[in-house]
Amino acid sequence: MNGNDRNTLIYRFVITLLVILAINFFLPRMMPGDPFSTLSSDIEGEDVIIMTEEQRQYFIHYYGMDLPLHEQFFLYLANMAKGDFGQSIYYKLPVTRVILLHLPWTILIVLSATAMSTIIGIIIGTISARNRKKGSDRFMMAGLIAFAEIPSFLLGIILLLIFSVQFRLFPLAGAITPFAHYTSLLDQVWDIAHHAFLPIITLSLAQLTGVYLLTRNTLITVSTKDYIRTAVAKGIGEKTVWTRHALRNALLPVVTRTGFMIGLMMGGAVLVETVFSYPGIGLTLRSAVVNRDYALIQGILLIVAVAILLCNLVVDRVYRQLDPRVTE
Amino acid sequence: MILLAVNDLKCQYHTDGHTVNAVDGVSFNIEPGEILGIVGESGSGKTTIAISIMRLLADSASVSGTVFFDGTDLALLPETELDKIRWKEIAIVFQNSLEVLNPVMTIADQVIEPMIRHGMVSVNEARARCADLFLLVGLDEAWMDVYPHQLSGGMRQRALLAMALACNPRLLILDEVTSALDAFTRKEIRDLLVDLQKTRGYSMIVISHDITFVSSLASRLLVLYAGRVVEAGLTRDILNGPRHPYTRGLVHATPDIFIYKDLWGIPGDSPVGDRHKGCPFNSRCTQSIDICRKNPPLLQPCGESREIACHRGGIAMLLKAEDLRFSYQLPDGKALHAVNGVNIEVYEGEVLSIVGQTGSGKSTLAHILAGIINPDKGSVRFMNGNVQGGTMGDHFKGVQIVFQDPFSSTSNRFTVLDAVREPLDINRIGSPEERLNMAREALELVRLPSTGMFLKKYCGELSGGQRQRVALARAVVMQPKLLIADEITSALDVSTAANVMRLLKGLQNRRGFAMISISHDLTLTLKIADRIAVLNDGKIVETGNAHDVMLTPSDEYTKRLVGSRIGLCCHEHTNGEHDFLRDESQHYPGDANV
Ligand SMILES: Nc1ncnc2c1ncn2[C@@H]1O[C@H](COP(=O)(O)OP(=O)(O)OP(=O)(O)O)[C@@H](O)[C@H]1O
Ligand code: SF4
Repeated sequence: MNGNDRNTLIYRFVITLLVILAINFFLPRMMPGDPFSTLSSDIEGEDVIIMTEEQRQYFIHYYGMDLPLHEQFFLYLANMAKGDFGQSIYYKLPVTRVILLHLPWTILIVLSATAMSTIIGIIIGTISARNRKKGSDRFMMAGLIAFAEIPSFLLGIILLLIFSVQFRLFPLAGAITPFAHYTSLLDQVWDIAHHAFLPIITLSLAQLTGVYLLTRNTLITVSTKDYIRTAVAKGIGEKTVWTRHALRNALLPVVTRTGFMIGLMMGGAVLVETVFSYPGIGLTLRSAVVNRDYALIQGILLIVAVAILLCNLVVDRVYRQLDPRVTE
Repeated sequence: MILLAVNDLKCQYHTDGHTVNAVDGVSFNIEPGEILGIVGESGSGKTTIAISIMRLLADSASVSGTVFFDGTDLALLPETELDKIRWKEIAIVFQNSLEVLNPVMTIADQVIEPMIRHGMVSVNEARARCADLFLLVGLDEAWMDVYPHQLSGGMRQRALLAMALACNPRLLILDEVTSALDAFTRKEIRDLLVDLQKTRGYSMIVISHDITFVSSLASRLLVLYAGRVVEAGLTRDILNGPRHPYTRGLVHATPDIFIYKDLWGIPGDSPVGDRHKGCPFNSRCTQSIDICRKNPPLLQPCGESREIACHRGGIAMLLKAEDLRFSYQLPDGKALHAVNGVNIEVYEGEVLSIVGQTGSGKSTLAHILAGIINPDKGSVRFMNGNVQGGTMGDHFKGVQIVFQDPFSSTSNRFTVLDAVREPLDINRIGSPEERLNMAREALELVRLPSTGMFLKKYCGELSGGQRQRVALARAVVMQPKLLIADEITSALDVSTAANVMRLLKGLQNRRGFAMISISHDLTLTLKIADRIAVLNDGKIVETGNAHDVMLTPSDEYTKRLVGSRIGLCCHEHTNGEHDFLRDESQHYPGDANV
């Protein structure tokens, strides 16, 4: 990559970031209500006032919400530049702290789910492509496509009912056993894994079909390419042909997809974390939205957006490593 | 000893519902060290033959027939055993394309891969050996660690060759190795292939649509058409005397062989792979008969190491004249031997030019061949019937003649329509309506208006060029098998002459009739002639392929004739490039009696 390229890349990155910041700022403020008057649709037509008008004005002033919108925006930008994400109105804590408290859990399940669905998807996709048009391929295909139709929260509920409620194999909620005293690190890791297992499975299953189909179809396309015929002609054996020649080429689009998938999963995490009451960033976002906790919403959305941007950047890098044709 | 024996190979591709017969019963043998060429146009099944030898066909294809390599039937081997033969014994240089090498692996990795797999070298030695191979094919070592897309077409071709040679195969298959390359690189690769084959002694199968390239390497040729071998034989024999109508079309359409002639391809398209009941060439053949539509012809031996698949035994003879003699009584009582013992043969669909000076007897000969005057001695037989008596012109598919002077054949008092329709009227062919339509069609064929005003014009009102076209239409309306054109352009100016000549050649090519063109204009003759006969003092002094006669005239008279062309001062009429076409015997079937 030459300097010029790097510059445009950074340039693009900054522009994207600014756009995200703007959307981030205005979108929550376009929702009806404000943090101090909870407008709950649960109670029809009735505002439940939980603080006096005086108190409300005080808080609005305290959080700088009586300023004109554009001033608020510039203030927000200035604070962002300083790394100050503001205070969470609901948690009464700095936004950064709230995020740091919950983000690791989400990262844990999203990354695990990504890795799991990608690896398993590639493996069964390859098996399917090699047995193309045979029974096993048809069976896998039909099964996984039907499976993909189930919404992930429904899948989560089903898994929860079966494995946690019925068989009591997994905990019903949370990321760790409350007030637990771990005798060893292994013990702690086991506890975390135990809690994260069902959310990870739910998230991965939702993505699995996509990876599987992409791998299978790309492999089938790749297997008709001339270089595969060249490889077979060289007598290097079927296995080498499939792994070194076919899979290596078929992985290119799968890698790209994985990048997008991480972003998608951040969204999916909101639902899945809700189902499993898993204290990740998704659950936090949900409560922030319900409570009109502007600063927190902004903070979380920004983190998610930056995460997605970073993922794309990484994918881009990995792709360059894998495909020599794009280096120029 | 036979290295590779392919017997009755058939390959079919099955694609959604219909079947393509890409290869339809091909057999051939290759001896160690031999180079076999396979030529045929795109889609004739060349690549399919190559990849079915190595059993690389897609699952959607079915194969039958046997392929014996060194005594082993490859079809019976399990994949794992086959993998031991692939590349180690038989390697292939695939048709050059960007996709033929793995885009995400370096060139060196791809060259080294089979060496290590087949246990040729250890991992440590591999790179050194790869560098040797690069040197061998003329590729700089610096290119070892680049990716395929970073190479030019010619470099990629060399890399593919290096890869093919990695395991020292005993049989090398080259599939269209030069088609994507410029002329210069093509020659380099050809020379490289010749050198390598000489030093290493492997057998080769050279596959290409480029007959020049194949011929310059292979000692034996198979001509493939629609998945079948239509002609097989020694390269030299096939180039000098193609016997199958398709081969002739192919050879004659090759600019490297016929360098002076205008390019005229074989009209029509090759049938693509569907089941043809009869001869696959049937729809484009100028001499097809009933059986050609019903049964496919089998490849049969015909002469020494030559095989042809044609119901008529190859290009058929149309006209044969033997020992023709004709003399004019001069006023002083002496006899002028205008035609003095001429033997001539004309084959289906060819253009034979008879050239000679004025007074050499050309026109007299033309008149005898057309049956207008009877020879004193000798016979002319046309499709096994006698020409004498002048009855060959009065029906369809006969002999027609067009004269030098259009004014003599088309009376001033005739309208255009009358002139064209007259032969039909005289011979009472068809109803009046049919005659009108036929006349119109004939006029269209010679690119004249076929409606209204023009039909009613009197021939006297036409220009020389138009009148010559009307004369042509008169001949074409009788759908001749043989058209004799006697100096038809000599009365026309250069540009009109060129137009008429092109028109005539175009007609001949499309309608597939044979033509005897009589002319003293060598330059024009060369543009259209397949064969040339040189006439001097009533005798044929030389015949042969047009380019041979013109490039290397052997008779003194021909030399003078060729030398008499008024060329521009910078013209050189010698060309060393074509030596391989010209060695030894260059005789066309039937030229023995010159
Ligand atoms: N994989 C395939 N599936 C279906 N039909 C095919 C396939 N490969 C080739 N064919 C058909 O088989 C016929 C012969 O193809 P083949 O590639 O052998 O011709 P070729 O003479 O090598 O032509 P070219 O020089 O253009 O490659 C063609 O009609 C082609 O359309
Ligand atoms: S004469 Fe018949 S068999 Fe021979 S090439 Fe023509 S169509 Fe085929």
